[in-house]
Amino acid sequence: MDESQLIARVRAGDSAAERALYDAHVDRVYRLAFRLAGDDALAQDFTQETFIRAFDRLGSFRGDAAFSTWLHTITTTVVLNGLRKVKRFRQREADIDDAHDIGVVRRHAEPDLKVRLKQAIDDLPEGYRTVFLMHDVEGYTHEEIGVALGVETGTSKAQLSRARAKLRVALADFAGEWVQ
Amino acid sequence: MTQEHEDPKFEQWLKDAARTTYHAPRTPPREEMWARIEAARRDKHVIELRPWLRWAVAAAAVLVLGIGIGRWSRNAPAGSKAAAGTQVANEIDSLASVAYQVAATQYLSRTEAFLTSFRADANRSTNTARLAHQARELLATTQLMLDSPAADNPRLRALLEDLELVLMQISLLNPVQDGHDRDLITQGMNQTNVLPKLRSAIPAGPVPVRRTEGAL
Repeated sequence: MDESQLIARVRAGDSAAERALYDAHVDRVYRLAFRLAGDDALAQDFTQETFIRAFDRLGSFRGDAAFSTWLHTITTTVVLNGLRKVKRFRQREADIDDAHDIGVVRRHAEPDLKVRLKQAIDDLPEGYRTVFLMHDVEGYTHEEIGVALGVETGTSKAQLSRARAKLRVALADFAGEWVQ
Repeated sequence: MTQEHEDPKFEQWLKDAARTTYHAPRTPPREEMWARIEAARRDKHVIELRPWLRWAVAAAAVLVLGIGIGRWSRNAPAGSKAAAGTQVANEIDSLASVAYQVAATQYLSRTEAFLTSFRADANRSTNTARLAHQARELLATTQLMLDSPAADNPRLRALLEDLELVLMQISLLNPVQDGHDRDLITQGMNQTNVLPKLRSAIPAGPVPVRRTEGAL
């Protein structure tokens, strides 16, 4: 059975078809959510929310684009909105923690590549980071990213280029590794 | 064509390093997630309103009800109005008017206080999370009002649209890099004269509390 038939069955209320559609896409949705969130619990929440919204709104899916493209548009919306809320909440907690830590001297070990890379990617502006993770890490095309984020393909390419440039500067200490 | 700033060796190294070390995904717990999706969809009709949302819905409901009653009482045929009695019609008009006035005045006053406070603190980077939270609350009410018959009034609609934009920007403030964003929002507020417009929309004097008894 092809995907359009599966979607028609879901629209008709077939729960087995819902599960089949979920099984076909859940791995990629979860992967993207995890890459963006970096937390298993959050990634699960975002994945669940994505499928709940997708099943509720399947009637509005017109089939102009691939179902996976439509689904990843929902995924990025759910994840980015969710992360903004989490970020604000964590920032508020961090403000309180910082107030308690006044006078405490912290020692930082020399970070290795993994730590520095994580810091550099986390420090990217949201748009750059999202495009970089979707394109270079998860393998989405610029066309898919453009649809998912509601931006032009050229914008996606430009943001990727700027993200790489920022990462290159941030990781300059490791230049020996990629020159070899 | 490879552009000057591109470096294929770096890009390949970066991809490999990020794929293997940055938030490398685990195997998704399919069954657990599916069970929760099914449960959530079963219970989706049970929506627990948060306190602020209750307030917003109540305010919008009062607006819709008040305006609806007001229009009905104004537009009703003369015969039926006469049948109902002039006194009853007048009381309905009065009730609708008071209910609308109270709900709208509360919302506009709260928004005015919030934006005044925001502009006064525009150069400080404290309490961004709280500001964003308050902006989201007011934004929800603004959007409910935009969807209500209150927005049929072109002047009020224009004001609500301006407020929606400002509140949306504040609700999205980045707690880390918000200094520049705050300045831009404040500049936008000044250019659109949103605060003076807002203040002129708020009736002078206190809300007539005694007359609201029984209306809300």
